[in-house]
Amino acid sequence: MNAEVQRVVISLPAKAEYVDIVRLNLYGIASKMGFSYEDIEDMKVAVSEACNNSVLYAYGKQDGIVEVAFEVLEDMLSITVRDEGESFERNSPSGSVTLHDKELLDVEIGGLGFYLMEALMDEVSIENAAGRGTKVVMSKRLMRSEEKV
Amino acid sequence: MNTNKNEKFQATTEKNGNSCTVYLLGELDLSVAPDFRLVMEPLVSDAESDLIINLKDLKYIDSTGIGILLSILKARHGMQTRFKVEQVPPQIQKLFDMTGIAKFFAPNENSQ
Repeated sequence: MNAEVQRVVISLPAKAEYVDIVRLNLYGIASKMGFSYEDIEDMKVAVSEACNNSVLYAYGKQDGIVEVAFEVLEDMLSITVRDEGESFERNSPSGSVTLHDKELLDVEIGGLGFYLMEALMDEVSIENAAGRGTKVVMSKRLMRSEEKV
Repeated sequence: MNTNKNEKFQATTEKNGNSCTVYLLGELDLSVAPDFRLVMEPLVSDAESDLIINLKDLKYIDSTGIGILLSILKARHGMQTRFKVEQVPPQIQKLFDMTGIAKFFAPNENSQ
């Protein structure tokens, strides 16, 4: 076995109707690696939220591209979602974005996407460079199940 | 498990006496959010009927979808009309629990 990183890169129009294509690719790669159904579902949500942000905030009304790179490591999947648009701002930079300690009338949804990414992946980092787009890198470790092949 | 069968999102409405059930199927994400809002608008503002959303065949929801459910909750609460979500699949319930929206779907309809 070599420890080289294998990369799969897809490039898509930054449009909402292409985000499901990212999920399909993720499913293929993650299931091939042996991730559990639950872990794959978690990653689907996280990667889609990153793509949603690029679709919604990166390019305004202009057309743009979202690039998604899957890096297959021996015991980890790392996913990078990158756009080249304006940087988006985090809706809720501090404090609680979840609804747990809020009354119905006070709740807002801003920031839930980021919260979900961070809650569902092992690691998430977000880089914003003014005018040079946004890069979200997230990873999940592969937990081997008892039944080893 | 056939994962290639990517079911297109559908919302089917069923009226039954003075309650209205909307069955969701497929993936509720950013791309279908505008359609879903359109379907729900008249149903949400209909104070005469109880509103139920059935999630049995919903395969996926993102934060946009959760946001729409939240806005329905708020609107129905403001009108003091009934709204509930039923048959939530485990992977979606997990997201409801994580985000905290679950407590507003609690079966005790008098609780906030």
